[in-house]
Amino acid sequence: MRRLAWVAGFAVLAALPFFLGSYHNDVYRKLLLWITLALGYNFLFGICGQVAFSHFAFYGIGAYSVVILLFQFNLPLPVAIVLGVVICVAIALVVAIPSTRLEGFYLALVTLALAQLFIVVLNEGGNVTGGTGGIANYRLPPIFGWRIAGPPYTLVIVGLLAATFALLWRLDHSWFGRACRAVRDNPEAAAAMGVDVARTKVIVFTLTSALAGIAGMVYAFVDNTVNPPIFGLDNAFLILFMVIVGGAGRHAGAVIGATLLFLLPFWLSPIVGHHHQLIFGVLVVAAILAQPKGLIGLWDRFSK
Amino acid sequence: MGSILEVRRLTKRFGGLTAVAGLDFNLGDGEILGLIGPNGAGKTTTFNIIAGTYAADQGEIRFAGESILGLPPHQIARRGLMRTFQHNRPFGGMPVLENVMVGAHRQFDRNLFRVLTGRGVEQEQKQRRRAEELIEFVGLAGLRDADVGTLSFGQGRLLEIARALAGEPRAILFDEPAAGLTPAELDRLAGIIKGIAGRGIAVLLIEHDMRFLLPLAHRVVVLNFGARIAQGTPQEVRADRAVMDAYLGDAAAL
Repeated sequence: MRRLAWVAGFAVLAALPFFLGSYHNDVYRKLLLWITLALGYNFLFGICGQVAFSHFAFYGIGAYSVVILLFQFNLPLPVAIVLGVVICVAIALVVAIPSTRLEGFYLALVTLALAQLFIVVLNEGGNVTGGTGGIANYRLPPIFGWRIAGPPYTLVIVGLLAATFALLWRLDHSWFGRACRAVRDNPEAAAAMGVDVARTKVIVFTLTSALAGIAGMVYAFVDNTVNPPIFGLDNAFLILFMVIVGGAGRHAGAVIGATLLFLLPFWLSPIVGHHHQLIFGVLVVAAILAQPKGLIGLWDRFSK
Repeated sequence: MGSILEVRRLTKRFGGLTAVAGLDFNLGDGEILGLIGPNGAGKTTTFNIIAGTYAADQGEIRFAGESILGLPPHQIARRGLMRTFQHNRPFGGMPVLENVMVGAHRQFDRNLFRVLTGRGVEQEQKQRRRAEELIEFVGLAGLRDADVGTLSFGQGRLLEIARALAGEPRAILFDEPAAGLTPAELDRLAGIIKGIAGRGIAVLLIEHDMRFLLPLAHRVVVLNFGARIAQGTPQEVRADRAVMDAYLGDAAAL
């Protein structure tokens, strides 16, 4: 019965793009991608308690990897995708293995440095990354002779979201999810229960970073352009805000937070212009001070 | 009797201070062994070395016949040597039942591939039922879904015990379990510890409170300045001259 409800829900998400115009399809695709990213980041930050600022950089690493491998190195699509995942996993491991053994503060610093370094590499990457202008005017190669575009490509993103959600949900509702929460709540007690704290952190960081990278690969063919400003630190913080405002540690919180903070500027911009950042800041401070469990926590309180 | 835990010539120095000096003792299945001594006698240091928090300078610790000296805490726990904390350390973001289930971590196959393919449901349900039984055993029935932040200190201690038991340990280390409990809670705790030993689990109690420990322990090891100064039944230890001297002026406590 419950499974049926989920299938029905995703069926509605999958049907929607066929009723939307091209502008709304574009907004819808980006919303789905933000939700996908927020779900992954929620697992890393909200469930496993690791403060990292590299999630959006991995989104960029995935996007750039697949584009460079396809159009600079002329590799076939499946090879480019697999190699792109390998690149994300390798970078994640290099970051996670030394820094998760230290205090949480170091992971925050190292990932912040990685996010900055990524932008520098993009800008200075010459012909490979396209420098400050990035790479544009490419198209998704045909798959079995079919060029996926328009609403069917939106369907690919719905599939990505469904797969990401299913994977994270299963992990969360298992001994592994419990171990992650234990690591977040009290690492010493977690170790005393037999949880390998360092290993758990490395697995979660690597897995969620790879998921962000895969989402980035899908994103690369939404706008058919990748350039450095898209993957800047603004968005690294935005994803943190989404999870905090929605309710860290809860999948539903990540969905609500991502939806609200992604759509809010569309409504606010006509009224306040670019000052919506200010409103976000106030929202985040209000959430931390008054409602640490986020909007989903507020919902829980009133639905009881 | 076969010993589940054997400690031999255990030595730990902090700078010039020898906190544990060549300590020897055995712990058998189903036995309640008390480790006592005045403040600074080396009880907590010994506890932390066995649990893997501190490294020893010399000596040997064997658990179920294998050396565990130098293993990290999580590997010691996975072998079935579990512990409780003196200052309760619950997982604040989880209800009582989930807290207890973390203790069952070593009971799972820990195969992520099985989780991702959705085949972990059976062991999950089995451990959930077992956790519910343990919550009832320690007397927290009715608080299964409670937020751990709402528990009293005494209830938090019971949660510590249920959580450690969820791993189905072969031995369990209690770090001053009586500290901070009311007389009624102490009675209940003594009953629980007897019940645990009755299941064949070896119990090592580090304890300050003699009135609690002596009626409960089968055997007692007395430490002073890191060395064992006496061991035997509670009656023997109570009558021991060296023990009285160690607790000089505090003989009433015995």
